[in-house]
Parts: sequence; structure tokens; C-alpha cells
Amino acid sequence: MLRYIVQRLIAMAITLFIIISISFFIIHSMPGSIVDDPMLPEDVKLAIEDKYHLNDPLPVQYGYFLKDFLSFNFGTSIKVQPRVSVFDIIKAKLPITLQVNIFSLILTVPVGIILGIVAALKKNRAADHIISIMVILFISVPSFVFAALLQYFVAFKWGLAPILLSTDATLTWTKFKSMILPVLALSFGGIATITRYMRAELCEALNSEYMLLAKTKGLSQVQATVRHAIRNSFIPLANIIIPMFFSILGGSMVIENIFGIPGLGQLSVSSINALDHPLTIATLFFYSLISLLSILVVDLSYGIIDPRIRIGGRK
Amino acid sequence: MKNREKVLQVKNLYITFNTFSGKVHGVRGVNFDLHKGETLAIVGESGSGKSVTNKAIMGILSKNANIEDGQILYKDKDLTKFSDKQFTKIRGSEISMIFQDPMSSLDPVMKIGKQIMEAMLVKENISKAEAKEKALNLMAAVGIPEPEKRFNQYPFQFSGGMRQRIVIAIALACDPDILICDEPTTALDVTIQAQILDLIKEIQEERQISVIFITHDLGVVANVADRVAVMYAGKIVETGTVDEIFYNPQHPYTWSLLASMPDLDTDASDELLVIPGTPPNMLYPPKGDAFAPRNRYAMKIDFKKEPPMFKVSDTHYAATWLLHPDAPKVEKPEALTRRIEKQKERQVADNE
Repeated sequence: MLRYIVQRLIAMAITLFIIISISFFIIHSMPGSIVDDPMLPEDVKLAIEDKYHLNDPLPVQYGYFLKDFLSFNFGTSIKVQPRVSVFDIIKAKLPITLQVNIFSLILTVPVGIILGIVAALKKNRAADHIISIMVILFISVPSFVFAALLQYFVAFKWGLAPILLSTDATLTWTKFKSMILPVLALSFGGIATITRYMRAELCEALNSEYMLLAKTKGLSQVQATVRHAIRNSFIPLANIIIPMFFSILGGSMVIENIFGIPGLGQLSVSSINALDHPLTIATLFFYSLISLLSILVVDLSYGIIDPRIRIGGRK
Repeated sequence: MKNREKVLQVKNLYITFNTFSGKVHGVRGVNFDLHKGETLAIVGESGSGKSVTNKAIMGILSKNANIEDGQILYKDKDLTKFSDKQFTKIRGSEISMIFQDPMSSLDPVMKIGKQIMEAMLVKENISKAEAKEKALNLMAAVGIPEPEKRFNQYPFQFSGGMRQRIVIAIALACDPDILICDEPTTALDVTIQAQILDLIKEIQEERQISVIFITHDLGVVANVADRVAVMYAGKIVETGTVDEIFYNPQHPYTWSLLASMPDLDTDASDELLVIPGTPPNMLYPPKGDAFAPRNRYAMKIDFKKEPPMFKVSDTHYAATWLLHPDAPKVEKPEALTRRIEKQKERQVADNE
């Protein structure tokens, strides 16, 4: 087991290295210069560019970059928040993103599971059809469309909630109210995904032989469903729920921009627009780290949740 | 035998299934009694309605099934009128069932011990410690070595035969009066089959429970059954004691079944009898005797009118017009007669 984890971690490190290398070359081949003030004298501009080694050939710049990066020196932001360490910027933005996403997760997981169970138990009946239509709608319509529609109808037309996120620093009632729309917009897709999985897994479990045995040994339909079918259908569900827990760290570029949430998603967009290379690469690195970690945790979690792997794998 | 108490009576049971192509007549008027402490084997090919009949007894028919007619009497109550809730009360503690495939009938993520105790804890008012003790005894009774250790293991750590033993232990957990075995040995290899059959026999004698044994394997029938019911196309065509069915079969279908079964004397060069054709399409239940189109001995009346059950002896009945007083005398197939002779000789030799 330990050997497996070490192997996976080494593979992860290699993947991360490839990701940051590719992003370095792509980002640095973007046109434009960080010094775009037309009033600045030419020699000042050159001096600034020299300071950041921007006039060296790309491979040389890559060398500098790697040297810093491998010593965990991610550098400071150039334009978004000049001279602030990128690490500190990400640290400051993370709680804002986390707050919205945790609420979204609290909504997504239970609602998705419950809808999935209802759909499976009422398979091919009205409730199932309604849920299925909802699922298709939520999966196929992108979240920013929902965000715009929610803003227009709920916030603008009916005035039920604020259009943008409140700037309160702590979680006040106003802030909570302003979070309702972004949370909803973030949750629809996740709810639909979980519902679809849960329904499929539970339908399969309900038709299994062990359900039949559970019934013939004297359990009622409800007892058999709760103790055996739902238990079994949760195992494959870990596959999609665990990455969701990790993705709350990342935030959503689109939704954060629409609702004016100053989180990580917005940060990465503004850093790209401002040609703030160290910040862009740091956020990209952070995103990659999160997704790779979540894949690792999913794989390891099977060994904990599923006894067939937990005990069978020991031999 | 006939003075024994009847624990279950199935009367004129008629079950259909709604399908996209129409109504399938799965079981068409089945009658049988199950006596206390006996083993009744129901034999028939796939689709003859043997499993469906027993699923109706357990109340686990699929949703598209309808019980059109008939009664299943158990302790003076008609099970066909039972709701799922009422069934839940008698399942496990009164009637229990074991299935064909032990590989998939255990919950893969629940410990064996818990699966055995589950029904006891739900149905009987006993403590966890008592349930565990009972479960361990059951595991020992069904021949699981080291039950203490096995108690905390998962199904994937058991072999097929061991799993079937566990399924039997689960079925017996609440001391049922009737045990339905739906082809319990089909998925197992031959040596394990024999062990499981012996186990079922042993348990049946020890606990004096009644067993309904569904199978298509006549070899198994000879081994375990007291009485046999042969089913074809949703009907029982012949019923009698094991000796009557094996030594004095009356229905041409039973003849064909027996003659198509290899035995110890069959060698590679012998040609086994093949029943021509296929079973009838039960979307359109046949008129007359369902077996007539495949029957060498079929008479005109077989295609027109359904034969009633003719009495051969007090325990032996068969539904074939050949038993009608006016029917021509027809001899059993020669191969079958020869085989029966041989078997009788062997039995005499065994008894000496």
C-alpha cells in the first residue's frame, strides 16, 4: 500500500512538472508586454523588462523559472497586487471561494442523493420522469446561463436576492442572502450529476440477487433497500463525490465573475488578462494540484470503503 | 404419507406476465400439496413455470406478473391475497428460499455474520449476543469450518460452495417451516453439488421442515425427493412418489425426460434421446395437450382437448390421454424400459 502511494506521488510530481512547463511556454508566448504604459520612457521600460528577465530567450527564462519553482519560490505578483507574494494572494482568496463552494456542496450532495433515490424507487413513474427531465436540463445547460437567468429573474425582476455578492467580510445575513444565487448556479450541475449516478446505481442494486435474498429472509422492502441496495450503490458514488469536495477549493471562473465574487476563479482570470505570469502559473499549479490530489484520494478511498479491495488487496 | 399434515396447498394457480408483445401465460393452473417434513421436487425445463410458482409462494413475483386465479393456502390463509407487508412477516420465519447463484445472492459489502444475524434481529426479539451465538451454531451446522473467524469475513472470501452454505444458513436463520430451493446446485461443480444436496437433506431430516426443490436435473431429484411433480408449459403433467416417477412413468414427457438423461451405463457411443422441437410459445397457450406437437405418441384428441389428471395410484397422477380407458395401449420407449430394468436390478443389489 505504502509503495503504491509513493508510486502515485512520484507520478503526480512528474505530471505537475509537465503541466507547469507547458503552461509556462503557453503563457509566455502570449503577445503583449507587462509594461504597457505609453507614457513610460523606453529605457525605463527596458530596465523593468530586464529586471524580470523578459528580454532573455525563452529557454533561459524557463531556466530561471524552474530554479525558483523547484525551491518553492513562486515569486511575487507583478500587476494584480504588485510585490505581494503569490502564495499570500492565493491564501487570501481561498476562504472567499471556499465559503461559497461549501454552501454549494452542502446543497448539492444531499439533494442529489435524495433525488437519485426517489427516481430509482419510482422508476418509470411520474416522479422519475420529472427528475430525469430536470437532470437533462441541468446537465446540458451551462451554469453561466443559469447564473444570468437567476440574476435577471430572481434578483432583477422580482428583487428577491441581491445581484452581486455582498462585500461583508464576515458571514452576515446580508452576505448569506447574496450568496443564495451563486450557490444555486454552482449547484445545479452537481445535483444533476449525482442524481443521475445515484439513480443508475440504485436501480441496478434494487434488481440484484442479494436484494431478493434480503427480502426472502424477511426484511421489508424499506429495510432491504436501506441496508443493502443504498449501501451498495454508495460505493461507486464516491467516484464523483470526492472530486466534488476537492473542487470546492478551486472555485468557478465563470460564476465568480458573474456574481462579482473575489475568489480564486476571478483571480486566475484577472491574472491572465493582466499578463501577471507568476500569479497565473501559481493558480494553474494550485488547480492542477487539487485535481491530481482528488484523483489520488478517490483511488485510495476505494481501499477504505470497499471491503473487496480493502481486504482482498492485502494478500 | 397421505395421512401427513398438509402445510401448503397450491390450488389451480394461474399466473400471467404482461410483456410488450402481449400476455405470457407462465403458470396455467398448477395444483400441488406439500406435506410436513417431505421433499417435493418440481422438475421441468426452463420456462416451464417452476420458478414462477415458487416466487408466487414467496410473494416475490416481478411487477409485471398477475395472479389471475387460484389460491396458495398456508395455515388456512391465502397467500395470493397477501400484501407485501403481510409477506414480510412470514418470509424467513415461515417460508424461506435459497437461490440458484450463491455468487450474487449475498451482499458483497456486508460481513457474513451480519447478513446471517440481520433477519433474526429484525424478526425475533433477541439480543445481539444471542443472535451471534445462533448464527455461529448455524454456520457450524451448515458445515463452515472455523465459524468464529468466518463470521467477520466478507462474501468474496468464500468459495461458491461455501457461499451456498451461507445462503442456506441465512434461509434457516429464523427457523422456517418451508424451504424453497430454486436450483441450489446449478451454479456449483459436481462434487460441491453432492455436498450441498446432502446438507439440505440432513437439515430437512433434522428440523423436519418441508422442502420444495426446483430443478431440471433428474439425477438430483432421485437423490433428494420424496415426491416429484413434472411441469411442462406452465402445468404439472405428472406427479407421484420418486419410485413411481422413475420406475413407472406414465406421461410421454416424463418418458422423454428420463430417456434423455445419461446415466452410469451410458457410454460415449450411445445416442441419447432428444425431444424434438421447442416448448410452446406461452404468448399463445396451446390448445389441448401442450406437449402434443413434440410427442411421438400424440393422438388426435391431444391436439383438441386438454387431458385431465388421470389417477394411476393414490399418490400417482398423470395428465395424458394415454391413460384414458379407450386409449390404445402404448409401450414406453424401449431405451427407457431397459434403463428402468437396470435401475431396479441395481436397487435390489444395493438392498442386499
